[in-house]
Amino acid sequence: MSSETRMMPSDGFEKARGDLQWLLRTTEEAVGALVTAFGELTRDTDSILRLASAIVDCVENENVRSIMPSVQALGVAAKLFVNERLQATSGILDTVTTETKLLSQLSQVTESQAKIAVEIKILNVHTKIEVAHLGSVGVGFEYLARELAEFSLSLVNSTDELMSHTNHHKATNEKTQSMLSIELPRLREELARVEFSLNDDLEVMNSGLSKLSRTPLQFKQSAEEIADQIAGVVVAVQGHDITRQQLEHVQEALTIISSKLTATHDAIEGADSDAACGHAGFAIQISQLGAIRTTLSEWASQIRTCMGSILRISASELVGVGPLVLEQEQSMSSELVHIDSLERECEAYGEKLSSTLDGISHLSDLVKEHIQKSESARNRLRLLTFNSVVEASHLGAKADAICVIADGVAEVSVEWSKISEQSGSALKEILSLSNRINGVMATFSQAGSEKLREAQAQTKTGLEHLQGAASFALTQGKQIETITDRMRARSIAIETASQLLDSCFGRIDLVVNTLENMKHDLEAIHPGVKQKYDEAEIERLFSACYTTQTEREVLRSALDGTVFSGLSQASMGNSVELF
Amino acid sequence: MKRILTVDDSGSVRQMVCFTLQKAGYEVAEAVDGKDGIDKAGSGKFDLIITDLNMPNVDGIQLITAVRKLPGYSFVPILMLSTESQAEKKDAGRKAGATGWIVKPFNADQLVAVVQKLVK
Repeated sequence: MSSETRMMPSDGFEKARGDLQWLLRTTEEAVGALVTAFGELTRDTDSILRLASAIVDCVENENVRSIMPSVQALGVAAKLFVNERLQATSGILDTVTTETKLLSQLSQVTESQAKIAVEIKILNVHTKIEVAHLGSVGVGFEYLARELAEFSLSLVNSTDELMSHTNHHKATNEKTQSMLSIELPRLREELARVEFSLNDDLEVMNSGLSKLSRTPLQFKQSAEEIADQIAGVVVAVQGHDITRQQLEHVQEALTIISSKLTATHDAIEGADSDAACGHAGFAIQISQLGAIRTTLSEWASQIRTCMGSILRISASELVGVGPLVLEQEQSMSSELVHIDSLERECEAYGEKLSSTLDGISHLSDLVKEHIQKSESARNRLRLLTFNSVVEASHLGAKADAICVIADGVAEVSVEWSKISEQSGSALKEILSLSNRINGVMATFSQAGSEKLREAQAQTKTGLEHLQGAASFALTQGKQIETITDRMRARSIAIETASQLLDSCFGRIDLVVNTLENMKHDLEAIHPGVKQKYDEAEIERLFSACYTTQTEREVLRSALDGTVFSGLSQASMGNSVELF
Repeated sequence: MKRILTVDDSGSVRQMVCFTLQKAGYEVAEAVDGKDGIDKAGSGKFDLIITDLNMPNVDGIQLITAVRKLPGYSFVPILMLSTESQAEKKDAGRKAGATGWIVKPFNADQLVAVVQKLVK
């Protein structure tokens, strides 16, 4: 027995035991906190899964996917609606432009008619003079003078009225042209917008609805993933129990080593064999601590990863279901509101256009009247010419002047016929334009937007379903958010406990260091101590308390001088055997 | 609802067994060691007992032997849940009256499957 052995510091054992006790206490405390957090986390996750499942069921029950065809129909109807109005507006603008040209022509013709009225008035004056000159012989021409006077008055009135309406209508047309030239680009823009925006919205909605239709599967995957992570935590937490047992066994082994080394101090015989046993014991415990370090690292990291995954899955994919439904509902609602307002705008525009173009129908009535008057004026003039020629031939040479007047009336009559023909064709064209405008205006009537209304009604029904789902998703989503907030707060507790576990590695290293030093001291005091132990005795002594296959395999590796390479699959747990 | 007794000196293992089986729809009671397990089994009726092997006061084998003697427990399934996987230990458990042996750490799905098979 050497004096150096007696000098071995017994406080090395105390320190190692103290550190091991600290490790047992700390891992117990950390795992206790983790298990508590895990229990709360799984309760929260269950709540989230229930809420998300209800949202998914609601989305499926409301058959949200079926809304897409009605939205597509709405898009087509809205495009058709705007396109029809664009074409109608373009047609009205063309018509009004043509009409303006015709009105200018009509003004010129009306001016010519006014000139003829003046000429007739002059002929009337000449006739009156000649009647006076002829005296009793010219009584027959008084009728001609009266007719010419009445006719000229009626022509002046008619041309004045037409002139005034033509001018008024020209002003109206200018106003309409100006309105249309503003409206047309706006409508073109609107059509492009409707086309682009609806396509865009439909694309977004389609992708959103596709996403929504995938949610049941995503939900199932999330639930399965969470279940896997929970199972991972269940396994990892049991790892702590294994570590605890192993640490307790190292403590027991230190007691055995300590008693063996005390024996070397007291005994005269067998001191070397006890020292060898103690040396082998140190080697085994150092290996055991290495294995414990690895196991602790594995389960601590598994708990951290699994709990992190539970938090991540719960906080992201499942929380997103509610907002996704809501987003679809909002996108569709805003498109409907836009189409509604577009329809109202078009109606208002149609009314405005209609009131502006009201003057056309009034003008067309006047035009019809003027055409009739022109026809009758031409007939009267022909009759007057004929009468005056007949009367003049009765009077012979005395009526030369009347003959000149009759020739004048005949000339005016020819001229009138020519002008009447011109004005007649212009007036007829105006009439046909007026009819065309009335036809185009029908596009702005109620019937034109029937398809759009139908599509709107269908979409609104679909939207009501989606709104129901969105409102439900919103309520459920808020509850999910509250729970995830709570879960985020729990993640702090999980992190704190995990950090506590991290601090255990340094303490294991300290124990290993202490045991290594004691082992080296023993080697220094008892040279050749490595070879002097009884292997069977060592195995019996230290493995008696072992309760895990790992400990036995580590012991074997330590005695064989090999490095423990991990457990065989059969010893890794989860083996079930029914007797 | 079927009642299960879990006997283990490790609080975290008891919690994991409780958590797993409660989630599967079972009512689970806990005992902190073999002695507590025998007391609880004697004072209540359980459809299945899951016990650890190495425990202070009374170990798993002693618990099985004692429980088998209790009235109404002759045919109640008893599962050993232990870190031990040695054949001789399993044999001792079987001789004492264990119905089956699960090596820790258990897999939640597998534990539930075994329990469902034994408790009908």
